[in-house]
Amino acid sequence: MNTPAEPGGKGLNVREVTLSYGGAPIVREVSLDIPHRGFTMIIGPNGCGKSTLIKALARGLKPAGGRVLLHGRDLWTYRGKEAARHVALLPQTPVAPDGITVRDLVRRGRYPHHTLLRQWSPDDDTAIGFALDRTGLSDLADAQVNELSGGQRQRAWIAMVLAQQTNLLLLDEPTTFLDIAHQYELLELCRELHDEGKTIVAVLHDLNQAARFASHLVVMRRGQVVAEGPPAEVLTSGLVADVFGLACDIVPDPRTFTPMVVPHARFPASSSPGAA
Amino acid sequence: MTRTRAASPRGFVTIGRAVAIPVARVSVVVAIVTVVLIVAAAVATLSLGRLGVPVTDLPRALTGGADGAQAFVLGRLRGPRLVVAVGTGAALGLSGALFQTVTRNPLGSPDVIGLAAGAGAGAAVVALYLPGVLPVPVGALAGAAAAMALVYVSTGTGFRNPGRLIVAGIGVFSIATAFTQYVVYAVERDKAAVLTAYVNGSLAARSWSHAVTIWAVLLVVVPLVALIAGRLEIGEMGDELAGVLGAGPRSTWAWAVTLSIVLSAGAVSVAGPIAFIALTAPQIAKRVTGRPGPHLTPSALVGALLLVLADLAAQQSPLPVNLPVGIYTLALGGAYLGHLLIREWRKGRL
Ligand SMILES: Nc1ncnc2c1ncn2[C@@H]1O[C@H](COP(=O)(O)OP(=O)(O)OP(=O)(O)O)[C@@H](O)[C@H]1O
Ligand SMILES: [Mg+2]
Repeated sequence: MNTPAEPGGKGLNVREVTLSYGGAPIVREVSLDIPHRGFTMIIGPNGCGKSTLIKALARGLKPAGGRVLLHGRDLWTYRGKEAARHVALLPQTPVAPDGITVRDLVRRGRYPHHTLLRQWSPDDDTAIGFALDRTGLSDLADAQVNELSGGQRQRAWIAMVLAQQTNLLLLDEPTTFLDIAHQYELLELCRELHDEGKTIVAVLHDLNQAARFASHLVVMRRGQVVAEGPPAEVLTSGLVADVFGLACDIVPDPRTFTPMVVPHARFPASSSPGAA
Repeated sequence: MTRTRAASPRGFVTIGRAVAIPVARVSVVVAIVTVVLIVAAAVATLSLGRLGVPVTDLPRALTGGADGAQAFVLGRLRGPRLVVAVGTGAALGLSGALFQTVTRNPLGSPDVIGLAAGAGAGAAVVALYLPGVLPVPVGALAGAAAAMALVYVSTGTGFRNPGRLIVAGIGVFSIATAFTQYVVYAVERDKAAVLTAYVNGSLAARSWSHAVTIWAVLLVVVPLVALIAGRLEIGEMGDELAGVLGAGPRSTWAWAVTLSIVLSAGAVSVAGPIAFIALTAPQIAKRVTGRPGPHLTPSALVGALLLVLADLAAQQSPLPVNLPVGIYTLALGGAYLGHLLIREWRKGRL
């Protein structure tokens, strides 16, 4: 429990963290190192605690036990705005206030960069313009968020997170509501940001996309991390059967040669003959 | 060096390089229009009726040139009453905006959930049982804090679940009102005017000392509200995102609730628990600005306007008896509360 702070520690390190919403623990004594400047994807079945864990990485939820270290220091010893200049989080189901426009929403991502008296700086316009541009929302900047389509709304939230201009970017199911072209566009955007030096952590349900884009895969089940490592090593048909209860073959993606999941025609796993 | 720049619907008030506060243009327009309306209502308040000072005499009378009768009307009768009405209305509007923002629900308003009634009970006890022992505002504050503690504990879920909040609030409201009635009856026997002042709220016979009290409360609380305004705006996006963006939801909450209680208690200690200004002012402010955000300034201004108008109606009413202003706001606000209850229930938010 009393792991000393690692002075040279970079990025996010999870040390025996237990998380709960006041009742029974949802995530139990998980330890995890998020690779610095890596592209980490978290996968796992519904309700296994992915969102709960990713919230705890960005001060959205305070651990009931253990510690989250940011650059070697307990995340909760930072001042709120200071932490928010390092880590940004897109929650799974954010709620936009009534009547807010896309630009105003994106502008709220600048909050950690403001002070009491300086609630605007020239950097804001650059950051907001960049975020709107990268998410293809420049033309919709003055539209009301609650009157957008689901996918446009999701992109508005992503723009808000981008405007925060942090080195660590946490995204909880960022591709929900997006059509397939926009899904890949967003994942490519994440990869570009990653190439520019940012650390990305995303929760994703599409295992093939996760395997294609991630440099590091984290697999969760029932509040525990059950496997982690490079996608090619982690994603096996045994693991998919074990964690998701789905019988499948793993074949190389014909384009990228990353592992690709081809489910068997019938499931659950026990009734399928070919499970390895 | 103060200037506003308006490149988008949002401008910035800047002072040199050190200060840049964003201000939406529509909010500025709404504020100016509301202030103009308040001034118009104030002029009507001072000049209408048998005792009114004619509009043409007002500039001279207000700058010290009032003769005996006019000096009495302005300095004793209507002047302090008007100044108290503006301050009390602003305090109630702001208090409502704070509480509704924290509870994220229009029904989570100080007058609906028994805060004002508790303050009224505290004020009645101190004023009638312990005259001269404690200042009335202290009693109002203690009553308001006790009422909120009771609501907070008895919902079991704090201030968040709107349905429970309202049910608990109705209970606390009834207890507090019954208690006030008991205190007034026990001490004053059958003085109906005293009773309504403590149960419904009244602006009759206000003095300059009342005006000083409510404006002193505003002077202290408004700067503190300004300090948390930015965090309240972020808090609108939910506790989780507020935490992630560094706007620590818990402390923001505690501050907003505390300041709301102080404002309500201040208002109640000078005018009694005037109903439904705190409920309606933020809702009107929200609709006329059509923007997100806690609407703090417009709510205060709309609150002041509503109370001045209601008191104008109370003073100029053709009814044979002079009803206290609290009865008017109760009647109008009650209808609005019914409308809100039905709407929230249809939306499944109760
Ligand atoms: N705000 C909350 N209050 C109480 N319990 C919660 C809350 N949020 C999640 N839970 C519980 O925590 C558990 C894990 O939820 P979590 O959202 O972390 O799952 P997940 O892995 O993200 O699932 P999904 O893939 O469906 O998004 C669930 O059993 C859920 O019921
Ligand atoms: Mg989730």
